[in-house]
Amino acid sequence: MRTGDYKQTYGELVALVDSPPVWMWSAVLVVALIVAPYALNSYALSFVTIILITVVGALGLNILTGYTGLISLGHVGFLVTGAYAYAILVSKYQMPPLVGFIGAGLVPAIASLIVGAPSLRLKGLYLAITTLAFSFIINTAILEVRWLTNGARGIAVQRPELLGISFDGDAAFTHLCLGFAIVTLFATLNIRRSRVGRAFVAIRDNDTAARVMGINLHAYKLLAFVTSAFITGIAGALYGIYLSFVSVEGFPFLLSIEALAILIVGGLGSALGAVLGTILIVLLPEATRIVFSLFSTQMDAMFSTGAQELKSMLYGLVIILFLRFQPRGLVGAWHDIRRTWVHWPLRY
Amino acid sequence: MQYLTQLLISGLAIGAIYGLIAMGFAVIYKSTGLVNFAQGEMTMIIAYIAWTISTTAGGNLFLVSIGAIIAAIVLGLVIERVVMRPMLGEPLFATVMVTIGLAVILRSSINFIWDAYPHGLDVGFGRDIVRLGAIGIRTGQIAVITTLLLLLVAIWAFFRYSKFGVAMRAVAADDRTALLMGISAPRVHAAAWAASSVIAGIAGVFFAISYDLSPAMFQLGLKAFPATILGGLDAVLGSGIGGLLIGITENLAGGYLGSGMKEVAGFVMIIVVLMIRPFGIFGERDIERV
Repeated sequence: MRTGDYKQTYGELVALVDSPPVWMWSAVLVVALIVAPYALNSYALSFVTIILITVVGALGLNILTGYTGLISLGHVGFLVTGAYAYAILVSKYQMPPLVGFIGAGLVPAIASLIVGAPSLRLKGLYLAITTLAFSFIINTAILEVRWLTNGARGIAVQRPELLGISFDGDAAFTHLCLGFAIVTLFATLNIRRSRVGRAFVAIRDNDTAARVMGINLHAYKLLAFVTSAFITGIAGALYGIYLSFVSVEGFPFLLSIEALAILIVGGLGSALGAVLGTILIVLLPEATRIVFSLFSTQMDAMFSTGAQELKSMLYGLVIILFLRFQPRGLVGAWHDIRRTWVHWPLRY
Repeated sequence: MQYLTQLLISGLAIGAIYGLIAMGFAVIYKSTGLVNFAQGEMTMIIAYIAWTISTTAGGNLFLVSIGAIIAAIVLGLVIERVVMRPMLGEPLFATVMVTIGLAVILRSSINFIWDAYPHGLDVGFGRDIVRLGAIGIRTGQIAVITTLLLLLVAIWAFFRYSKFGVAMRAVAADDRTALLMGISAPRVHAAAWAASSVIAGIAGVFFAISYDLSPAMFQLGLKAFPATILGGLDAVLGSGIGGLLIGITENLAGGYLGSGMKEVAGFVMIIVVLMIRPFGIFGERDIERV
């Protein structure tokens, strides 16, 4: 029985997981997800795919908001830039999908450099406001530059073929998303335990102190922003492929709020939290619909007419309730349960 | 020349609405230190309430304005008491996120309480066009510009001379010392939310009179952001003037550069302002002591 966190060496402190069973359970989960496409019907499978894509995006935002403590209200801007970068490279100029994915990461990263450089010199909420502005500017820019983006008509995107493997079928595409989710998860976990990740967290916890310790605030904030935009862009490309059609309407502003809701619900600054939050937030509208439809068919009708509004209302409600009653999110709740379980009947 | 004057005047009119909403941002920022992302949504809700009153009361101007002001005060107080007060003392990040959550809830509630179609708020004036030489201007637009100027003077006097205004500035400057001086910070916060809600409501009603009500009205709040950044987040008067500047810029950009530029002119301006003078034209530079 583990009764506490006794970490004696530096290696233990930066270990990816703090106990071996976690590896086993993770492996079981991965195997389950690999088998899932063959066992589930296509409706349930679409949720699995959406969750895997959203995990990539949420982990991207987690680097910025969770680790570094900077709010971005315009991450949908990077999502849409990534999706368009992929669509333009692959569908319009017939580049290989691998180049498309690299472009989907690099183009938002460059865009984030342009937005971030002026706004990250400042403290506090300014990044939230400039990213909000960015997401509106980028939407207008996409609609205006018709020769490149087809304006409001959008660009159709095919399922890709990577390294000789075709990801055309639904099952295969889920596997592709799973691959991206796992790679992103490892990448962000490793960033967190590196020198760079510790610098991010130091900035979040107290930026003046971090600066005194010799951390270049401007450079590290910008680095967090660029990394976050890169990962979000790739999530955008995946989402574009999933929709098989990239247009401005496919990426509503609500996605930015959804991403923040995911981080808050899951628990800020934790990769596990981002995953748990994604599962809850993606399934929340569907779960609410099922619960309500048990009561009356009238409620069910309301869901089908005002689905988008109901979804955003739920996100807002979840954000407020979690911040008020469980600010550490699902991860915090999980830690509390685990501690109670281990120490019962003692409280500590 | 006539085209330019017309653009300037309609820019001033829409700018006055941005200015009012921006003042709402600044009033809350000045007394609680947080940016209220739900300002545009509050504007929209109060405009819709005013519309409901006008349709039931037959467009009586007096009833509509009294009803809208009362509704605005109630809305502001309820939001402060139910949603914001429990977050007192929490980190800034959490408090700001709460206002974002509130914004999404208010925004989507429109479609459930009212509907998604545009409506005109008819109170018997506002849509008539007054001719000044060759230039046409709506009476509603004249009224909103006048209201903004009057409010600017009133708020300046309030913060400068009234005891409560000074107390609000004290809480904004240093809430702990203000508490020690016997000022009730929660009361100041409640007053700030109510005041900001009323200012937002005035903007919303004027917008509904001159243009139309629609569930997309919350975007006024986003348009007012550049105004308050330009004027300075902590400068109430600066925000009002910033609104006029943004309105004119937007209309000139729309008139000479195309409608796409009209939509983003304000946002481009935010990024430029933050690069050159991050605390705004009238804002105070933040000095941090360790």
